[in-house]
Amino acid sequence: MIATINPQEEPYEKEKKERYGLIPMAPKPRTTLFIQCLVDTVWPHVAEAMVGVLEGLGLELDCPTDQTCCGQPAFNSGFRREARVAARRFIEIFEKSGTIVSPSGSCVYMVRHHYAELFKDEPKWRARAQRIAARTYEFSEFLVDVLKVEDLGASYPGRVTYHDSCHLLRGIRVKEQPRRLLRKVAGLELVEMKNSDYCCGFGGAFAVKYPDISAAMVNDKVDHVVNSGADTVVGCDTGCLLNIAGAVSRRGLSIKTMHIAEILAHRR
Amino acid sequence: MSDISTEKYIEEARRGIANPVLQKALVGLQDRFGRGTAEAYRRLPEGPDLRIKAHEIREKAIANLDVLLEILADKIRANGGHLYFAETAQEAVDYGLAVARRNNVRLVVKGKSMVSEEIGLNPALEAAGIEVVETDLGEYIIQLAGEKPSHIIAPAVHKNRHDIADLFVQKLGIRRTTDPPELTHAARKALRAKFLAADMGTSGVNMACAETGHITTVSNEGNIRMATTMPRVHVAFMGMERIVARLDEYEIILRLLCRGAAAQTMGTYASYIGGPRRPGESDGPDEFHLVVIDNGRSRILADPQFREMLYCVRCAACLNVCPVYGKIGGHSYGFAYSGPVGAVVTPLLTGINRAKDLCQGETLCGACRDACSMNIDLPRMLLALREKLAYGDAAWQVKPASRAEGLAYRGWSWLIRNRRLYELGLKLAATGQKLLPHRKGMLRRLPPPVQGWTQSRDLHPLAEETFMERWRRTRKS
Amino acid sequence: MDTPDQINFFRRIRAALGHAPDVSRNASHLFAEGPSPEELQLLDRIRRRTAEGRQALLERLVEAGKPINLSVTALPDVAYASAAIVRLVGEKKPEWGDAKHIAAWRHPLIDRLNLPEALDRLQVPVHATAPIPIDAGSQFDQVERERQRAGIIASFIGVTSADFCLADTATLVMRNRPGQPRSAALVPSIHVAVIHLDQILSDMKELFALLRWDERYRSEGLSNYMSFISGPSKTADIEATMVHGAHGPREVHLFVVTE
Repeated sequence: MIATINPQEEPYEKEKKERYGLIPMAPKPRTTLFIQCLVDTVWPHVAEAMVGVLEGLGLELDCPTDQTCCGQPAFNSGFRREARVAARRFIEIFEKSGTIVSPSGSCVYMVRHHYAELFKDEPKWRARAQRIAARTYEFSEFLVDVLKVEDLGASYPGRVTYHDSCHLLRGIRVKEQPRRLLRKVAGLELVEMKNSDYCCGFGGAFAVKYPDISAAMVNDKVDHVVNSGADTVVGCDTGCLLNIAGAVSRRGLSIKTMHIAEILAHRR
Repeated sequence: MSDISTEKYIEEARRGIANPVLQKALVGLQDRFGRGTAEAYRRLPEGPDLRIKAHEIREKAIANLDVLLEILADKIRANGGHLYFAETAQEAVDYGLAVARRNNVRLVVKGKSMVSEEIGLNPALEAAGIEVVETDLGEYIIQLAGEKPSHIIAPAVHKNRHDIADLFVQKLGIRRTTDPPELTHAARKALRAKFLAADMGTSGVNMACAETGHITTVSNEGNIRMATTMPRVHVAFMGMERIVARLDEYEIILRLLCRGAAAQTMGTYASYIGGPRRPGESDGPDEFHLVVIDNGRSRILADPQFREMLYCVRCAACLNVCPVYGKIGGHSYGFAYSGPVGAVVTPLLTGINRAKDLCQGETLCGACRDACSMNIDLPRMLLALREKLAYGDAAWQVKPASRAEGLAYRGWSWLIRNRRLYELGLKLAATGQKLLPHRKGMLRRLPPPVQGWTQSRDLHPLAEETFMERWRRTRKS
Repeated sequence: MDTPDQINFFRRIRAALGHAPDVSRNASHLFAEGPSPEELQLLDRIRRRTAEGRQALLERLVEAGKPINLSVTALPDVAYASAAIVRLVGEKKPEWGDAKHIAAWRHPLIDRLNLPEALDRLQVPVHATAPIPIDAGSQFDQVERERQRAGIIASFIGVTSADFCLADTATLVMRNRPGQPRSAALVPSIHVAVIHLDQILSDMKELFALLRWDERYRSEGLSNYMSFISGPSKTADIEATMVHGAHGPREVHLFVVTE
């Protein structure tokens, strides 16, 4: 494990609440889906699985089908004007929503952390952004911290290792929640791999602009998955998972790469 | 100025990745020090939150840099020391040379100092016919090898015992051995002679304290103590930002520095130097000079977005957790500072366009921010640098790095504004991808400019139907 | 007083911070008038330390010394310390050459060890580093310093005392004074330090509180050169393998006199 300070320790919980003004939710709130562009366009089955899990818990879901992107790709590449266009649209679309849940830690981090920065010179937009940020959650965080649910009645026979996505772990400080959920899955053996919290080398445009470095990083990640003895690698961010799955495929390995929503929706 | 090769980032990275000796060394370094530092922070009586306090201390110091440096200067002068304030690298080097000439210096022994690398001190002294010997074992090794350091604390991390054995046989004439204690002893013996014969010693400054009027140097080897005790003259080179106000604040910084640098609770040696030898004392330098260096730091100071970078104490904790550094090694960064700190400081000191790959060639994973002994938000500054590269910036003289990329994102911003247009674009792409090479349902080769992805991995194709389309189709009836 | 390089340098910094470039700013708000509540507590804790408390510090010191290869031995009085040093001199071999010399500080505690007499039997010369008389003239000064330097270089053991020892990190704290050269704890291959139990403090916080506020130490402060020494020199620059004995002493022996 690299230098990750335990996010469950007091100061970070406090920081989270202070920073985002997250308020404890009533059970079974009205829930709006915020679907990452990569999930929407490449792996919609991840969103389907998440819908299955949430509806299985009795939640009423709605989904603004006009949504496209939170703006993160442009922001990370430095194109803040373009990112603001996406952000304003996001805010307008989600302003009237209920509790917002996303199967992507990095998108949630964008909204909670970077929107305020994007609108630092526009107080009205910043206030609107902050109101939305205060009710935006990542999927595993939502289940464990808000709905207080860990056992989804899922079953998945397999040896699973979990990859900590960077923005989920170090951005919104979600580390234990996915593990708690996975441990309650019947038949699932959870094993930790070396450097589970090391970046997989995705980094958005980085994977395309610096392919040698990205390849070296993802190959290390796949090596660690293999060495852990797992047959399945699970994560909460589709960018990472597509990266890892792509390397697994190129190397001809039989390891399954899955989003946690798929595992939690899995039945015998 | 030392020679800068930031433009070779991608090329050097490739070389680093292909070097098995370096790869093994980097894994060992990060396993040991990355993990060790995190544990050391956890074991602090105040816990890892002490880093937040340290940040405040440094923030206050930088906000009062003029006041603190003035106090430091007055105190050192009152103690018989000399101060020189160098605006540029050249001025700092020229001052060092002048001191050397005035004192008929023939041999200089050096304590490790990254700022002395930054200003290019060694080549200047050598050009003046002065023998310069690096005394930190890692720096000594790379000096003998004619190479540059690849890590701020462990400069020879890229060399294994066999490389070092070969080097020592060739340069020191020893009998070949690959045993680290024996190799270390060979260096100890060779350098002892240099320490005792040297006319002048140089050092960096880890941190200065205004209240007491001292500069501090920290080492495990004792080489800095030797270099600053035995010769007649001591010249210390200090980045102007390396100062705190009070001794009780300094104590916090020192504790974090030792943990960040080498996962230690205390380095073997810390020396507090306030001036030259006093009357009646048997040893110590006759002359003490402190060269305070700007070399672009005042420009960083003036920019509220980047001022935080001056809180850095060069502990290198960020290198020890960076997944990118951990694959490419220090030489890729092309300057004195490598790793995440290099990725921010080097563009600011040497040119943002020139060092653009340093700003863009990371994943913003955030490990550096969590490891930083001063809790500096490095990713925030990398993002700020990327914004300047995206649009250009007059104040920092930045030209947009890629007009093509700018146009692509402009196009993207139109596409995402309109869901129908977006879906139309996706449909075209989903059709187009059928023409690309496939295997077992995965795309094997993407066209330029995104061919980098498929250089070493496959890609899941776009889905036949987006989630939103499906939702509309199945739910909104 | 202010040189042109300094004037321009500070103008630039003040301008960068958004202040009037030519006006020297006031500093007093950055420094404390007196000890903080925490520092008062530390000073109090030191003052109230009992014999048991000191014994506990000694035990912590011994433990802290282990991972850094510092050997710590408690001895009842200076005679024992003297005997221990004599034993070391007999057992240890010089690193450079064969002749055994040792260097020793002129210091009240070290003087009581009576080393010249104790080592006379072994025929080992003791280079005592006397303070150099300040008004003796620069010629004498130079000659005397050269002589002391040569004596230290020839010595395979350097015997010093220290001002304090920090138990937490097994750190010896030495402030520079005439008769107490820093190179005695640096150049010889073996460093022997002799201190009294009372000199052991808990940690750096206690030390700095004392140096800042205690009347006994305040005027000298840090002196112009203060050393922290935590065990023998070491390096891990070759394949991250820890080697004890880099450029400073290879061995450090600390004798704590408890009388």
